[in-house]
Amino acid sequence: MRKVAIYGKGGIGKSTTTQNTVAALAEMGKKVMVVGCDPKADSTRLLLGGLAQKSVLDTIRDEGEDIELDDIRRDGFGSCKCVESGGPEPGVGCAGRGIITSINMLEQLGAYDESEELDYAFYDVLGDVVCGGFAMPIRQGKAQEIYIVCSGEMMAMYAANNICKGIMKFAESGGVRLGGLICNSRNVDNESEMIQEFAKRLGTQMIHFVPRDNDVQRAEIRKMTVIDWNPEAPQADEYRTLARNIDNNELFVIPKPLEIEELESLLLEYGLLEAA
Amino acid sequence: MAPDSPEQAVELTPDGTLTSEGLREELLKAYPKKSRRKREKQFVINEKTVNEDGTVTLPQIGANTRTIPGILTQRGCTYAGCKGVILGPTRDIVNITHGPIGCGYYSWLTRRNQTSAPNDSDANYMTYCFSTDMQDENIIFGGEKKLAAAIQEAYDIFQPKAIAVFSTCPVGLIGDDVHQVAKDMKEKLGINIFGFSCEGYKGVSQSAGHHIANNQVFKHVVGTDNTPRSKFSINLLGEYNIGGDAFVLEDLLERCGIELVSTFSGNSTYDQFANAHMANLNAVMCHRSINYVADMIEKKYGTPWIKVNFIGAKSTAKSLRKIGEYFADEKLMEQIEKVISEEYPAVFEAQKKYKPSLEGKRVMLFVGGSRAHHYQDLFGELGMKTVAAGYEFAHRDDYEGRAVIPDIKIDADSRNIEELHVDADPDMYDSDKVRDKWAKEEKGYTFAEYDGMMTQMAEKALVIDDINHYESEELIKRVKPDLFCAGIKEKYVVQKMGVPCKQLHSYDYGGPYAGFRGAIEFYKDIDRLVNAKVWKMIKAPWDE
Amino acid sequence: MSLLRHTKGGEVHERQSLTVNPAKTCQPVGAMYAALGINKCLPHSHGSQGCCSYHRSTLSRHYKEPAMAGTSSFTEGSSVFGGQANLLTAIENMFTLYKPDVIAVHTTCLSETIGDDIPQITENAIDKGIVPEGKFVIHANTPSYVGAHPTGFANMTKAMVDYFAKSTREDKVARRVNIIPGYVEPADMAEIKRLAKLMGLDPIMFPDTSGVLDAPQTGVHEMYPAGGVTIDELVAAGDAQQTLALGPVCSGPAAKALYAKCKVPQTTMGLPIGLAATDKMIMAMRSLNGGFVPEEIKYERGRLLDLMTDMHQYFYGKTVALWGDPDQLVGLSELLMSVDMLPKYVVTGTPGKKFLKRMGDVLGDKVHESFVRQGPCADMYLMHQWIKNEPVDLLMGNTYGKYIARDDDIPYVRHGFPILDRVGHQYFSTVGYKGAIRVLEQILNVLMDRQDRDSPEETFELTM
Repeated sequence: MRKVAIYGKGGIGKSTTTQNTVAALAEMGKKVMVVGCDPKADSTRLLLGGLAQKSVLDTIRDEGEDIELDDIRRDGFGSCKCVESGGPEPGVGCAGRGIITSINMLEQLGAYDESEELDYAFYDVLGDVVCGGFAMPIRQGKAQEIYIVCSGEMMAMYAANNICKGIMKFAESGGVRLGGLICNSRNVDNESEMIQEFAKRLGTQMIHFVPRDNDVQRAEIRKMTVIDWNPEAPQADEYRTLARNIDNNELFVIPKPLEIEELESLLLEYGLLEAA
Repeated sequence: MAPDSPEQAVELTPDGTLTSEGLREELLKAYPKKSRRKREKQFVINEKTVNEDGTVTLPQIGANTRTIPGILTQRGCTYAGCKGVILGPTRDIVNITHGPIGCGYYSWLTRRNQTSAPNDSDANYMTYCFSTDMQDENIIFGGEKKLAAAIQEAYDIFQPKAIAVFSTCPVGLIGDDVHQVAKDMKEKLGINIFGFSCEGYKGVSQSAGHHIANNQVFKHVVGTDNTPRSKFSINLLGEYNIGGDAFVLEDLLERCGIELVSTFSGNSTYDQFANAHMANLNAVMCHRSINYVADMIEKKYGTPWIKVNFIGAKSTAKSLRKIGEYFADEKLMEQIEKVISEEYPAVFEAQKKYKPSLEGKRVMLFVGGSRAHHYQDLFGELGMKTVAAGYEFAHRDDYEGRAVIPDIKIDADSRNIEELHVDADPDMYDSDKVRDKWAKEEKGYTFAEYDGMMTQMAEKALVIDDINHYESEELIKRVKPDLFCAGIKEKYVVQKMGVPCKQLHSYDYGGPYAGFRGAIEFYKDIDRLVNAKVWKMIKAPWDE
Repeated sequence: MSLLRHTKGGEVHERQSLTVNPAKTCQPVGAMYAALGINKCLPHSHGSQGCCSYHRSTLSRHYKEPAMAGTSSFTEGSSVFGGQANLLTAIENMFTLYKPDVIAVHTTCLSETIGDDIPQITENAIDKGIVPEGKFVIHANTPSYVGAHPTGFANMTKAMVDYFAKSTREDKVARRVNIIPGYVEPADMAEIKRLAKLMGLDPIMFPDTSGVLDAPQTGVHEMYPAGGVTIDELVAAGDAQQTLALGPVCSGPAAKALYAKCKVPQTTMGLPIGLAATDKMIMAMRSLNGGFVPEEIKYERGRLLDLMTDMHQYFYGKTVALWGDPDQLVGLSELLMSVDMLPKYVVTGTPGKKFLKRMGDVLGDKVHESFVRQGPCADMYLMHQWIKNEPVDLLMGNTYGKYIARDDDIPYVRHGFPILDRVGHQYFSTVGYKGAIRVLEQILNVLMDRQDRDSPEETFELTM
């Protein structure tokens, strides 16, 4: 089983990209589990057609509840398995701790056991790695490969660079590797070239350039992935390519994060930052 | 093992006016609704139903469930169970508490687990408290670096053969990966270093900490030294050497000709744990805290386990005989009988001396995960009656017997505690032992059996799990027992009410109470406590 | 065989990260102790139940008394979702079953890290009607990873001011004096009150654990013993003429808060340990009573002075190792210096800016003969290494010193918190003139016992 964590700046389209990619993998006949690691618990709604489910952490709120895997795991599109970690309301508790707790719980319940015959487990992780808890999915024995969703926008690239710093820390001890950048296009000038260059300097690759297409939103309104909503749509093929690239990927690296100056000069070079 | 006949109905008070049902109802009345519903399940009357086939059905008790906030519980936390109880008594491991200073401080030498290092050159770190003393900045920016540095300093200065790291609440919250740090430092320093995720909020009591400790000791230490042991070799599991209990048992076993490979964990060393899998039998004292290790050793190495109890002279004799019977060696069994007959005269004499002033007195025991049961044997030997008892952190099987294990609902709080998956060791698994076990079982010898506390208690005695201050105070007021057994938090409350309180965690700095010698010591201490003159002086002459 | 066999002389191991045998514990226990000094108050620990259990056990072992307190019994669920539900349940249960006038909540490292907002939860409890009319829930933030047990004591004491003190009139009430006694024994609090009353003052002492943690055996357990400062007194503290804060670390913050809130002038001074410090306290009281000192106090001072003059030869030049809380250490050091003893090694784990300067002032020209260390890794292991390299004549500190005392065969006087293995500290005060007599007597006893033990036949003395 390959365990994959998807990181990226908040609002970049991680959940959408993850779910569309998972749909494509499922369509290819892969057995996939998606673990949403966002307290908002909205990482699997497109795969589940909007169906709400009980999050892992919901089960530890109330006492005396015995949990079975099936209480917290639902089948989604293409028989993929969907789990939401869940977590506290904004401003209270410790969401990071929540992720640690729920991943431990999934392990205890046997979600990753060989008997489950999974090909992939995907972790969709909230925004930045703000505290130890958010790094849980890439600790030892958890996800081995990471893809960072980014775009040509400056803040997205900053965030991607920061995440690489986090990966570097865990890569040295834990064996997690960066599999590539997924460019989720924001129609920025020279976007593809810039991200390719950025990836190169990080020591990785741009695994796919996902163009901006309103079909994604159209499908989303219907609580579906593009592949589910309209298998013929050109955007569906984009996700299929992304899924294939991930499936065939063999380039796994310890990233070399850029110094801030270097990152800014890259942006400058591709015409994003006006010289001051 | 029965101290007094369990069929007989309990007499709560000498005048017989108080009924168990009435008392229970009275006590539960005061609770807010939600809390009452919870307490109802944990407060039962020991009504035994004899079935047609002769088996006995016990009432079901709520146990190992969450403590009600604000109730004034006796319970402690997971860290206390892991660091304090299980790992605390091992003298040659440097135990570093990763957290703010308090947790390490309060578990520093406070539990009376005695140890006896043979020479001044042998390591003994039990008099030391090691902590990373986490500060604000370690919480915000993470404490892994400080932990690694602390391990390095401990290694440089103290040169231990092993270092253990214990996580406290904030460590779990901020997500410090103590296991990774331990692993890295183990590689770097070349000694065994391992971590425990025993944050205080895990589980519902100390019990979770016992389980976590069992897991890690089994995973990281047991099985690393294959030095063979003799034929009659055992491990003593769940004996923590409070007040020197383990010393008594070490001596007793030696005189019987039984080799003690390791004790989990009273007066123990790292090397004993490493070699524990080479013993031929596991004898389990405190079922609650250590049955996990017994189970895991059996799964991996095929070594069977039996339940023993060395609290009480009768139970001690019975337990020794059961060990002898397992090895089925005539000479050994003869030697065991010889030792028993050497010890017993003094026991009888002591019973004769102390029983008259104690017989018929009523006792309540609310303590631990096995002590509230085991000590009933000692009181039985003195003719004292247990009218109410309960555990602080035990599970249903400790009350109702292991037969209920399949029916125990595993709730989310227990799911949080790792359950190790253990397979038979391809090289070390001893199938001869397993076949031998089957043969013995055919002949009626029982392994891995524990009937729990309730079977042994009188009909209609009160059985109360996780008792709180309100309930104990009301019980004492209404029943006016002659003796109450609990811990330090209850000790002075109870005594303020004019009732003697025996601490069964620390033994009130007395003991040992295990084995024959310990039984005599206990009789004496109970007589001293219950019949002290001071209890009669409370009323001033002008109030007479 | 040595008990601390791994502690050796030679090069002193300087550490940055590993604390060994600490000379401090964590904030919450101090907050719990302070809260027990409010009449009819039930302290509550908002965290895992182990914290509460550890603190209650420590207090009970020290005082040999009940130490009642509640806990929020956090589980993994509450750690993730916040502890509001647990605290609300706790408040309801405690008011229903135990009927306190006040619940004094202190936080722990757990509830601090997840950021539980106690006042907001308390308001919620009031809205839900689970706080009975006329009853209170107060709180102090006491993260265990900040400060130490004296800090927790200070924070809970300050909370008493924040929640209760009220200024109700323009002028202040003459001779009403607030005394914040600091982290001292119940006997010390009683002694300070006695002195204040002898001085003709009307003291409000907070917290006041006398009559709480030294309660009598009556055959009845009083959940709330008679002692402790009452809510009315805490409210009235706002109209007092003056606040005397004894010990800047433990009492300073509350005195300052009371000044800011109610404009009660405050004087912060050291704990009244020894002649000079007690003189200072009596002088401060004298400035409020019209300028007299009663005969009884003069007599007590004279007796102390008498002992100091008569026994000086036995004290002179003796070196001492001390560990404990800053306010206590400064007071004890001053007492020792006054009879020409030398506090040679002094360690405290409790942080606080002014301690080193205060110690410097006390040591005066002897400052270069002493090793004083404060903060991270200023622990008993460090002190013990110093002792191994150059021994001292006397140890003074809490129970944990007994291991050093036996290993290195050093006379030892127990002082401070916790004392788990002797009684007396809760009954016999060590503050004021009378308290100083007791401290000196204890010191003399152990020094003379040592002399008697070690003297050869020819110099074995009958008389001192």
